[in-house]
Amino acid sequence: MTQYFQDPALWGLIAAGTPVAATAIIRGRKSNAELRKEKQELKAHYANLEEHYSEAVEEAKDRAEEATKTALKSAMRTLQGLASEQQLAITKLQDKYGELQILQDLLDIDHMNSQFARRAQSIAVLCDGWLGRQRASASLYDVVRSAKGRIRHFTRVEIRAQSNFAIVSRAVEPVALTLAELLDNATSYSAPETMIEINIRPVPKGVCIIVDDAGVGMNEEEKARAAKLLSSERAPGVSGLGNPPQFGFTVIGVLAARYGFTVSVDSTSPYGGVRAVVLLPEELLTSMPAPAPETEEKPAMAASSPMPPEETPAAPATTFGGLPKRRRRGAISIVPAAETAEAPARSSEQAASVMGAFQRGTQSGRRSTNASSEGPETQ
Amino acid sequence: MTTPDEPELERETAPLVRPYVITNGRSLVDDHEFSLITLVTAAVDGPRTGHLDPEKLRLLDLCAGGYLSVAEIAGHTNLPVGVVKILLSDLTEEGFLMTRAPVPPAKLVERHILEEVLNGLQARFG
Repeated sequence: MTQYFQDPALWGLIAAGTPVAATAIIRGRKSNAELRKEKQELKAHYANLEEHYSEAVEEAKDRAEEATKTALKSAMRTLQGLASEQQLAITKLQDKYGELQILQDLLDIDHMNSQFARRAQSIAVLCDGWLGRQRASASLYDVVRSAKGRIRHFTRVEIRAQSNFAIVSRAVEPVALTLAELLDNATSYSAPETMIEINIRPVPKGVCIIVDDAGVGMNEEEKARAAKLLSSERAPGVSGLGNPPQFGFTVIGVLAARYGFTVSVDSTSPYGGVRAVVLLPEELLTSMPAPAPETEEKPAMAASSPMPPEETPAAPATTFGGLPKRRRRGAISIVPAAETAEAPARSSEQAASVMGAFQRGTQSGRRSTNASSEGPETQ
Repeated sequence: MTTPDEPELERETAPLVRPYVITNGRSLVDDHEFSLITLVTAAVDGPRTGHLDPEKLRLLDLCAGGYLSVAEIAGHTNLPVGVVKILLSDLTEEGFLMTRAPVPPAKLVERHILEEVLNGLQARFG
């Protein structure tokens, strides 16, 4: 080793190499610092970009959602309008051809039209669109029956109780649509021969509509998912429907939030299926409209027509829309009831004058026939 | 779901409860069973009516006053005739209503009877 220290060549190398190395080290440090700085800058830039990127994506998503909603909303609006027009046309046809066999087909078409209208309505709800024409306030029973008519297998639905409650005008369609979606689920997830039962029960906070099916029920995961869709945590709008899209609970969730009623599906029905409960608060309820006071209206022919004694039952009469209905003043029978079947009494003067008029008539008739040139009368 | 452009109770709307729901999807009644001129009245001691649909109660109400023809009943209900027939048929089966065959149309009177009446009148008044 020592022999190398004495080697002038080595010293020469050291003398020449040291400044070079020093410079190299200093340079290296410098570029290192620069690089570090650059890296910092790049990092900041990247973070910045990333932040804006997610913002941009959010914005694009929102815009796409809005555009989808607007497009669907206007399309559904057209379909809903057409379905409602068609329903009116079908109603008129049903009245017109009520006696004919064609009525059966018209009833079937009416049923299909109702289902079609409900589908369009559901999609419209998801797009914050039009729910349909506002209805007059209606009895709860009629709203439930209307909902029943909007699903395919409506004959499987049995309404077990009537009630004296009515639903305020603005909530008629939302409640009917909610129930229709629940019934659609109930009929879809239970065997075709089983019945769906609806009960109406007054509770301190309002009224409960209970829908029980005899299906397979839901497991915990499905229940959690349903509860999430029914609550405000659901993904908003059309893009959150999943694939295949599940409309029912989403639509119900939107409607419940908007109109202030609650829907729960977490209990089990007595038949082992799902029990869905719709709780309508007092604000959405009203009492059945009272019948208008009856004004007595004596029929003009009362004395001579075979009218049975008038009996006007005091039961309240309302139209399907819940409005007071005009009541007939007693039934007009075309066959007299047994007890009123007496011959109309005439006074003897009246009888005499009628007979006299008859006789005068025949005499004058005979005179004019004899005077005519048409030949003698056969005697 | 109220939008500013929402039409309020505009024009006419079809009834909320559709006729096929009222009949619960039952098919039409045969014409032999219920014709337009079949007469219907409420049974004297029918079963209790508590659970009946509003439409059926209304029909019972209409029939309470004596015999009415199917056509007349339908005219008072705003329901298609065929639907009214289904409901009436149900009510009859359940014992709420009684039906009666229509009044037979007057039989054609024979010519010689008319002649005898004419002769009799002439003999009396002529």
